[in-house]
Amino acid sequence: MSRNRVTVTKMNLTSLMDVFTILVFFLLVNSATTEVLETPKHITLPASVVEEKPRETVVIFISPTEVTVQGEQVVLVEDILVMDGQNIDAIGTRLAQVEANVIGFNTKIVAESREVTILADRGVPFSVVKKVMSTCTSQGFGRISLAVLQKGSKAAQG
Amino acid sequence: MTTFLNLMVVLVPFLLITAVFSRITIVELSLPSSAGGSAAPKDPSFRVEVIVRDAGLEVSNGSLVIATLPKVEGAYDLERLSELVEALKQDHPDKDDASVLLEPDIEYDHLIQVMDVVRSGERPGPTEEETVRVALFTDISIGDAP
Repeated sequence: MSRNRVTVTKMNLTSLMDVFTILVFFLLVNSATTEVLETPKHITLPASVVEEKPRETVVIFISPTEVTVQGEQVVLVEDILVMDGQNIDAIGTRLAQVEANVIGFNTKIVAESREVTILADRGVPFSVVKKVMSTCTSQGFGRISLAVLQKGSKAAQG
Repeated sequence: MTTFLNLMVVLVPFLLITAVFSRITIVELSLPSSAGGSAAPKDPSFRVEVIVRDAGLEVSNGSLVIATLPKVEGAYDLERLSELVEALKQDHPDKDDASVLLEPDIEYDHLIQVMDVVRSGERPGPTEEETVRVALFTDISIGDAP
């Protein structure tokens, strides 16, 4: 009897370890595909069904209050709203600076891509986005992409 | 074996926390480069234009407005727009470019939603539950509403 109880209390961990090993490999691979873009906390991106992956480009954040180019805050949204003309000088100079200051391999890719990815908040008025875009094109950054959160199509949701 | 298991127990929560599940994707725009000189459109008399106004949507073929879709309960009537755009695509299967024109005060979210509808439509798929995405006008340029 007593010998029997001892064999019951000994737990068999092999299957648990199998599961964990598979899980660890899955998560490692999942995290190894590094995200090119990080979602900032204060920006809610719109959702879309497109499936294209982001590339290494110059990144412009448009939050409800301010515009950030390559990690540096450049201009306030309310200033853009009241200004005349289509070119935002502050963003233009910052873009030129990004091009001029090439340090290391990553910034070189970014500067030579001649591409801009815009991450804008849902509520930003179109006039602001348009002014930012026309500034980018006039600085020679001809290819503009808009970042969105991927959502499943209606078929996948329903 | 227990040491290995301990390692797993630590690694799994760590990787679960760092894993990112919301994926960011991008919508590429076809903008006319400031240098100009892009290829002339094949059929200059016909263009697909969707105009987003405060009051609703308008679909135009470049010269005259084909349809006006007023807002339904405060939201844009994207389903009707989808039907209209699909009908346009069937009339002009070679056409790939379209313009989305917005009034300055329209929120960015609406731009993305309208672009989504113009880019691709859903058709009933092989089974009843599934739908298939079909590409409609994939080259979208955006601009100011006239």
